[in-house]
Amino acid sequence: MDDSPPAPPAEQTPPPPPVAHSGSPTDFLKGVVGKRVIVRLNSGVDYRGVLSCLDGYMNIALEQTEEHVNGNVTNRYGDAFIRGNNVLYISADEAL
Amino acid sequence: MLIFSVFKTLTDQQVTVELKNDLSITGVLKSVDQFLNIRLDNIKVLDEARHPHMMAVKNCFIRGSVVRYVQLPAEHVDTQLLEDATRREAQNQVKR
Amino acid sequence: MDPSSSGIQEPFDLIRLSLSERVFVKLRGDREMTGILHAYDGHMNLILSDVEETIMIVDENTAGGQGAVSVAKRKMDMLFVRGDGVILVSPPSRT
Repeated sequence: MDDSPPAPPAEQTPPPPPVAHSGSPTDFLKGVVGKRVIVRLNSGVDYRGVLSCLDGYMNIALEQTEEHVNGNVTNRYGDAFIRGNNVLYISADEAL
Repeated sequence: MLIFSVFKTLTDQQVTVELKNDLSITGVLKSVDQFLNIRLDNIKVLDEARHPHMMAVKNCFIRGSVVRYVQLPAEHVDTQLLEDATRREAQNQVKR
Repeated sequence: MDPSSSGIQEPFDLIRLSLSERVFVKLRGDREMTGILHAYDGHMNLILSDVEETIMIVDENTAGGQGAVSVAKRKMDMLFVRGDGVILVSPPSRT
């Protein structure tokens, strides 16, 4: 009978999200598909290429991929599938 | 599930399991489960000099997660069947 | 629907299109291999045939300061590779 649903914190609205940098990690990932990216693995190895697509495990498909090990190109792949558990970060390598 | 099925079809065949600690064990595949845990009979450790404590062991249970490779008897693997089954399973993943 | 001309919508498509082709696989523990891909699953468990594995071994105790890298190779007819060791799979370059 009592009427108290969990009261919304009415006194202030939350600050708007920083839309200038286009929002959430998901938005970032959507934004970089088709763009040049740098994928760094936990091992420290970098892969530079065009991001074809990725999935929820952060499995990644790259095109025109270069493998960089401490500054030197050590391999080139036309296409490369990277298993997501190895990924430390994905960084945009061109303007979004 | 698909790989589990493959291993089930290979029961009673001779396989060589290589573990992540570099121990290689050849034996008759007695059973396998969904985690790809493996039971081997009549086992033989490849480098017995390096693993003398294994000499008396006749059969073993191997936890799936410690396996690096399993060498399979090629004559008992139908590669065409495997590829078709893999495509079918990939199709089902998409539908889910 | 198609993000790129290659018609790949999810990373596993890349692997599916490589079935029955020779692929390059990079693994944990400084191992690489090539083999003909016959099966895979969502864990990236693989079944390959006609496999050649390359193991890079860094010799710590060489006199010349930097560790010399030696390479061991071996061949296997039919091989199951557990997915948790897989870092990268690359199809043959189809240009």
